[in-house]
Amino acid sequence: MSTLRERFNAVIHLRKPDVLPWLENVYDETLVEWLQQGLPPERVTVIDWEMGRGGTSLANMTTIKGFNPYPLFGCQSLYGSLLQVDIGPIPRFKQRLLKETDRHLEFITETGAIARRSKTGKYAWYNMPMFVEFPTKDRETWHKYRERLNPEDPRRYPKDWDSEAYIKSFESYQDGNTMMRFNGFYGFGAEIMGIPTFNLMFYKDPELIHDMIEYWEYFTVETIRSAVETLQDRIDVVYLWEDFADRHGPCISPKLFKEFFLPHYKRVTGFLAKNKIDRVLMDSDGNINPILDLVAESGINGLWPLEVNSGMNAIEVRKKYGDKFFLIGNLDKSELAKGGQSMKKEVDSKVPVLKELGGYIPGADHVIPVEMTLERFKEYAEYIKPMLAY
Amino acid sequence: MTDALENIAISISTLDSSDHAKAVVTDALSQGFSPTEIAEKGIRRGLQIVGEKYEASEYFLSELLYAGSLVSDLFELLKPSMKNNQLERKGVIVLGTVRGDIHDLGKNIFKMLADSSGFEVHDLGVDVEPTAFVDQVKESRPQVLGLSALLTTALMEMKSTLDALRAAGVKGNLKVLLGGNAVKKEFGVEIGADATALDAVEGLEICRGWTKK
Repeated sequence: MSTLRERFNAVIHLRKPDVLPWLENVYDETLVEWLQQGLPPERVTVIDWEMGRGGTSLANMTTIKGFNPYPLFGCQSLYGSLLQVDIGPIPRFKQRLLKETDRHLEFITETGAIARRSKTGKYAWYNMPMFVEFPTKDRETWHKYRERLNPEDPRRYPKDWDSEAYIKSFESYQDGNTMMRFNGFYGFGAEIMGIPTFNLMFYKDPELIHDMIEYWEYFTVETIRSAVETLQDRIDVVYLWEDFADRHGPCISPKLFKEFFLPHYKRVTGFLAKNKIDRVLMDSDGNINPILDLVAESGINGLWPLEVNSGMNAIEVRKKYGDKFFLIGNLDKSELAKGGQSMKKEVDSKVPVLKELGGYIPGADHVIPVEMTLERFKEYAEYIKPMLAY
Repeated sequence: MTDALENIAISISTLDSSDHAKAVVTDALSQGFSPTEIAEKGIRRGLQIVGEKYEASEYFLSELLYAGSLVSDLFELLKPSMKNNQLERKGVIVLGTVRGDIHDLGKNIFKMLADSSGFEVHDLGVDVEPTAFVDQVKESRPQVLGLSALLTTALMEMKSTLDALRAAGVKGNLKVLLGGNAVKKEFGVEIGADATALDAVEGLEICRGWTKK
């Protein structure tokens, strides 16, 4: 019988596993709901050693590291074992409260943006903050921000970074995939400039966009170089966060993608390929259909979450693009959350067909929403699990 | 359409530089076209073509935002000449993101398009109480109320707002349009909204259809 990691690697290389993996991403606040609904905390709480709570003493203390609900349901986390290379601004901006009203809180975040969040709603973070100001607005502010993106800064690697130890750890891990994650070119620009300004600058100041994208290529490659050259294909997949589409389609046109992003993607995926990392997964919500030819050309060969509400259909993508992509997700989260026949219909319409077509890992088409009750997730788990074995 | 007005529409729809588009408008003014003609048959026509290209997936968000910024520059240029040339009002829209949701990107794009296309838009902002929508509807007497939500957790607030409109007796002929990433067409039907738009351009087309004179 294969390990979970072997199964994952079989599917992403479009080979047939003995059993299909099943990947989910449970949102923290969904988990808090489930704990209140009877999820046994002792079954999902991860307690491990940590040196004196962040290194304040030499005593090895046990501490709650977080929660891992996945094995309990028979699925795996989308993120598996993640190599934490820090691609954020160093030094960080000091996160602090700027303003408070009876309904909202406004913070400056660690990335230098000003974010507003509701204080009246039940869910603080599931309701996503609204970013109202960004650290980069023009050339001058970009040059200032860029000073915080030095790839040589030793703080970018984990405190315990040690080539041999990490090689052993990445070789022995079998509970899922091993992954490295960083922002793609659109995700990077939109995050530091905001979607409207970043999109406008392609027309108003294209040289600025070229400069930003060129620098991001240099910065990411040089930042991850040591990890990539050390671990090579012990990293199963590189995860690129992009989120560059809405329901209508990509935020930038295929023409702009080709001109501004494509050569840089090719160089990044080329660098990875040279180091035997041949699987690159792109995370983008929305309708990415109009841009998929270029995505494939850029060297990206995996797609998640394939959002149904935006018109994405994994069966159509598989049929149109053949083995150019491995696919993860595409089960409509809102239908899954309804449970019963709605859930079964959604699973039945995709999983058996895609299992036969291959290169597909089932899962919800984004994080498990707070509307999904524990009982319904259990029902979904019990329904999907028997379908996974070949 | 005369050449000068057509040139303005072309300049916008081909995403000209702001300086060049301004020169084209200045040329039309010097030829004696009124600001109203320039706005209606040049600028708004250009924006309409951009919308058509967006719906045809020839243009995407960047192009839509740039065209909006271009149109805004051109209206600024026209302002001094418009004192006695009141533009025709296509209709009145009250707009806002419903209670519990603080996101406004899609709403703001719709507002920019509706405003540039000749609608009088009253934007109540984000996290808007149902009673605030009711009060604004009473005050502005709009043809359309646009409700936006990004979050699934805010969907039921759209229903609460519709209920509040009905309870206050102001729903009547008022058309309620839903928009935002969380909203599906079936949900709109389920709660009794008049239409649901999948994007800002579709929303604008729906409003145009409702307010056609």
